[in-house]
Amino acid sequence: MSTKTITLGPSQLALEEPMYFRVETEGEIVAGIDVMAGQVHRGMEHLVMKRNLYQNITLLERLCSLCSNSHPSTFCTAVEEIAGIRIPLRAEYLRAIADEIKRISSHLFNSAVIAHITDRASIFKQAMEVREIMQNTKESIYGNRMDLAANCIGGVRYDLTPESAGYLTKQMERMKEPLDELYRLYTTDPALRERSEGVGVLSRQNAVDCGVVGPVARASGIDYDVRKKSPYGAYDRLCFTTAVETAGDVRARIMVRLREAREAVSLIDQCLVAMPAGPVWADALPEIPAGEAIAKSEAPRGELIYYLNTDGTDMPLRLKWRVPSFMNWDALKIMLIGEHIADIPLIVNSIDPCISCTDR
Amino acid sequence: MIDAHENIAKALKCSTGEEVAVTWRLDRKGVATGWCRLREAAGILPAARAVADLKGRLSMVTAYLPEATKHSGVRELAYHFDLDGTTLTIRIQLPPERAQVPSLTPVFRSADWNEREFMELYDIKVTGHPDPRRLFLDESIEPAAFERLIPYSTFSNGASSKALWDRVFADNDHKESP
Amino acid sequence: MKPSHKHLSSQVLRLYRINAGSCNGCDVELAVTASVSRFDVGSLGCSYTENPADAHIVLITGPLTVRVREKVLRCYAEVPEPKIIILVGVCPISGGVFRDSYAVSGPVDRYLPVDVNVPGCPPRPQAVLAGITEAADLWRARQGIAVASPTAVTSACQGQGANGTTGVRGRMRFTAAACVGCRMCEHVCAGGAIRFQEEETGLRFTLWHNTCAFCGMCSHYCPTKALTATDEWQMAHRQEEKYRLVEQGIIPLVPCTGCGVPMLPVAAELLRIVYRGVSRETERLKTLCTECRQKQSIGGLRR
Repeated sequence: MSTKTITLGPSQLALEEPMYFRVETEGEIVAGIDVMAGQVHRGMEHLVMKRNLYQNITLLERLCSLCSNSHPSTFCTAVEEIAGIRIPLRAEYLRAIADEIKRISSHLFNSAVIAHITDRASIFKQAMEVREIMQNTKESIYGNRMDLAANCIGGVRYDLTPESAGYLTKQMERMKEPLDELYRLYTTDPALRERSEGVGVLSRQNAVDCGVVGPVARASGIDYDVRKKSPYGAYDRLCFTTAVETAGDVRARIMVRLREAREAVSLIDQCLVAMPAGPVWADALPEIPAGEAIAKSEAPRGELIYYLNTDGTDMPLRLKWRVPSFMNWDALKIMLIGEHIADIPLIVNSIDPCISCTDR
Repeated sequence: MIDAHENIAKALKCSTGEEVAVTWRLDRKGVATGWCRLREAAGILPAARAVADLKGRLSMVTAYLPEATKHSGVRELAYHFDLDGTTLTIRIQLPPERAQVPSLTPVFRSADWNEREFMELYDIKVTGHPDPRRLFLDESIEPAAFERLIPYSTFSNGASSKALWDRVFADNDHKESP
Repeated sequence: MKPSHKHLSSQVLRLYRINAGSCNGCDVELAVTASVSRFDVGSLGCSYTENPADAHIVLITGPLTVRVREKVLRCYAEVPEPKIIILVGVCPISGGVFRDSYAVSGPVDRYLPVDVNVPGCPPRPQAVLAGITEAADLWRARQGIAVASPTAVTSACQGQGANGTTGVRGRMRFTAAACVGCRMCEHVCAGGAIRFQEEETGLRFTLWHNTCAFCGMCSHYCPTKALTATDEWQMAHRQEEKYRLVEQGIIPLVPCTGCGVPMLPVAAELLRIVYRGVSRETERLKTLCTECRQKQSIGGLRR
């Protein structure tokens, strides 16, 4: 048995973020793997304790640009829970819209990367072009293609006029067929199918033992979605089916994400219809008493949990979060054993790892 | 809901031998969070077993040096478990000398990274951890980073900003707004 | 061995990307410039390479974490001269919102000779392309190659996006006349981009865009909307201009009409918010300092 250090690093487009792996191989087969993290460690858990609650809304959004909105929205939920603030109904829908828009964009990006890794260049370009509809939507509505700056304590910082709501409706309409087409492509393209079916399998029992979350868990048959288990915001009034598959392979994870992206379009449609008129935030500068709270949400990569402890000032006493990707790295140890080293980038990307989230 | 909460309190008492008082909170959406404290730090391992028997999982671990006990060096660990959508937080306190806690890895695989994460930030020993290496912090950074840094936060945070802003002011000295 | 550059005005310039601990926002947008036809760097005569030995232009994202610093410097060293560095996003330029962390080593220009900066958080692909164009021109100019007039793509990059959006969060604009000096903007700024200086003649406001996260929190919490975001997203600049990318203004002090002591004027916007309008009485009281106002309205000083 020889130990080879394979580095998937900053220079490869396939992995936009630097993460290193030490892989033990028996010939060309993976026998063991160690994940070496910390390249993107910026000391954020320390930084947030030196910033006030307002600064942290912007800071936390930049934990990771793909999950981005989930961080400030969950953080604000924790603050609102401590302060007993009930955000306006309209704000609940606007938060959900922002979250679902990010979900679609994030899942499309991961799907594109997977096509790129499996040398399906035309599918890669197609996914990126479809994603551009979402990027333009974000820029028009929020002013930025990645970081939405949508949240504040007490609600949201943006609103939809009848005009922009109409624009959003049209954009979502434009997404439906392309998403269905991409789902068809990813599940029936013979080359993709061959590379992804039966590859990087995580059984249901292993998934439970590892405590994985998000699409990785749902692709292994675990029916857990925070939007249903611990509803927040508008989700207790929205209708959707949790995307669950049972094969637990790369293909199942691709399918879960593309189904969720399509479901997210429907969720946005529902929000646009159900959203009542009214204010979008509760109070300009609310009083935040001493207290503590837990807030959870379903980020694109899975369950995101925040713990906040306050002391009555506008600086947090203790702020801790755990990102979904953090729970999923361990499962790679099971998924990669026995697989060919050429499949490492594919299997790693199939868990849609967010390194900047993990390293924080 | 109430039955489930009673079961949890019972299971904790059974496994740890302590009378554990759990405070339950329900938010506006009906999502429950439970909060409790164990007297004995070592009790966290049997408590974790009780949670596992109830089909729960470890969600997150928060380590901190509460303001009130900073000068005495008493650290706290809050273990956050998920029980099918309900989050149960179990807190333990660690004495200033020999702050140690048993690893939960025999019960939850996912405790591995959670424990490695706080071990490099706080001076807490996790006994029985299968792989107590650094996780994110570069080797050049002193161990127990949060304990060393916080007293010196005034040193670490001002220098770079000051240097940059000195340049900004210097370069724009004669400028007015357009 | 690279062939002589003198006659290679149409040479494809190769881009090499280094992630120095970024939140992946800028990197995702760079991926867009390699895959989406509207933003393809090919139209600028450039292409991405994964081999540093092949590269001409280095793009760096992220605040340069302690952990990756040495690797980044080694990667950079592998790129042969002549080479140009572009910093993408405010993180490598100033540390951005991560500045002053124990885990952050930057800004990048502490270690490397930076040529072009593209601020943003993250910047639009159009802004990145403008920065790459600047870098390409700089590279060619240094080789003595005549620089072509701006490409069609670059001029198309100015102004609106494809959907005519004007909502892009760009440069911040400060209106001194509306500012009341409450400093809420400075308080909520995660990037540390705003500073106030009390000077003899007035209160000076400075916003440095190279550490601005373009999040608009300052504008959101400004009670009189003295600070607003414009849609000017084209901010790519040469390193020499780095510290001059500011928005400044001075609120001049005015003498109290009662005792003559210099004071900050009360902005009309503030009166509109507090009193829903301006009456003759408020007009008169607003020219008085707090002490004179107390004497006038309640007959004396209450301490």
